[in-house]
Amino acid sequence: MTHDVRDGLKYTKTHEWVKLAGAKAKIGITDHAQHELTDVVFVELPTVGKEVKKGDELCVVESVKSVSEVYAPVSGKVVAVNTKLDDSPEIINSSPYDDGWLVELEVKDKTEVNTLLDAAAYKKL
Amino acid sequence: MVLRSPLYENQVKLGAKFTEFAGFEMPIQYSSIREEHFVVRKKVGLFDVSHMSNVWITGSDAAKLISLTTVEDASRVDDGESQYTAILRENGTIIDDTIFMHLGEKFMMIPNAGMNQIVTKWLNEQAKKHHLKAKAEDVSREYVILAIQGPKSKETLQKLTETDLDMVKFFGCQIVKVAGVECILSHTGYTGELGFELQITPTKKAAVVFDALLSSGAEFGIQPIGLGARDTLRLEKAFMLAGNEFEGGRTPLEATLGWTIFWDHEFIGKEALLKQKEQGTYQRMTCLECVEKGIPRHKCEIQKDGTAVGMVTSGTLSPCLNVGIAMGYVAPDKREVGSILDIMVRDKPVKAKVMKPPFVPKDWAQKHEEIAL
Repeated sequence: MTHDVRDGLKYTKTHEWVKLAGAKAKIGITDHAQHELTDVVFVELPTVGKEVKKGDELCVVESVKSVSEVYAPVSGKVVAVNTKLDDSPEIINSSPYDDGWLVELEVKDKTEVNTLLDAAAYKKL
Repeated sequence: MVLRSPLYENQVKLGAKFTEFAGFEMPIQYSSIREEHFVVRKKVGLFDVSHMSNVWITGSDAAKLISLTTVEDASRVDDGESQYTAILRENGTIIDDTIFMHLGEKFMMIPNAGMNQIVTKWLNEQAKKHHLKAKAEDVSREYVILAIQGPKSKETLQKLTETDLDMVKFFGCQIVKVAGVECILSHTGYTGELGFELQITPTKKAAVVFDALLSSGAEFGIQPIGLGARDTLRLEKAFMLAGNEFEGGRTPLEATLGWTIFWDHEFIGKEALLKQKEQGTYQRMTCLECVEKGIPRHKCEIQKDGTAVGMVTSGTLSPCLNVGIAMGYVAPDKREVGSILDIMVRDKPVKAKVMKPPFVPKDWAQKHEEIAL
């Protein structure tokens, strides 16, 4: 993988990242994913309070040409969404791991996070 | 088998990202769709559209064959002119939309990508059936097609040819030399901007023209453009994309291409069209601009008060307008300009207003100089 992969984050094969802090997990899409999408022009975020199961559709990220689903890497309750993306979805392209986060989940079962890929394993994809 | 343009290696070198379209592996983008879109609206862009088809129509009845098989009377199209038209089935639905060029004794037709064999076969069958001395010959793989589009296209091309481009009329066509290579030039395009298209054979000579155009346009900020921006550019002008807008069989009346029909001649499908016109109840191509956030896409349902009234055939986010835009077929009594319909995007209604085409007017770039590249 030629794109930026951050150490310390957990990853999915479908190119989401997870940053766990206590019981909360921030979720976004990887640098590779934003490169593939190019020009993110619209993000549909879930409503705060929504319960999601691992593998459920969490958000929709649209580029000019394509519509891509972002799946919940772990189960939990949506406690925050990045409302900045409503007006500036392109932040996902410029800052996929920081300002371009999508959703914060209250994680139901932290052991689920351990089943995700670490940076080294994600790089190998 | 996936086909590639003879300029594939050039595309790779320029950093193209590829997609498959109608059996061809073609560049979807080089830099980004948005950037390429604005380059064409404000400067000049170079497209390789070799996936499009080339069919020679020859013989003493060549014009008659075109008149029989399209909604145009080809005898009205003078030598050195080209014409946009549609080829119909007996039932009036569109087989393909195309441009044909009148070049001396011959005509060259440019069917859509992947339509070369279907169109050639259809034309030859009709020639035989109607005892016409005319022949269609598929030469699609012998030609590279380049499109040079944007406000600086004329200046870019003029430096490479002795032909005075000011003397070439809109939709005019002729044989010219560009960078020393013989090409068929036409003053046509699919972007709504000032532009030209070049048909080049043999294909091995095309790279010279391609590179010369990129060099010539460098001072204006030329960029190679992929199919992604080609789609957003045409959608903003509400130009038809055959695979989307004619999918499932649509007539030119439904597609609001009635203006292309020259009724005063006999052609295949005419009877069906006359019947449909008289009934008048058919769905019609309609332009919708979202007044809420959301991006309509191919096959989104169009509703009025919760009832289905149509279907989106093409949709995108308009780079120029920064709102969702869509083309789709809508019931005749629900498409008055200014009325609000719902486009169902992932089962949620997005309000959209019926517009008169095009979405983006001709002088948009001049009025929006604040959008810098």
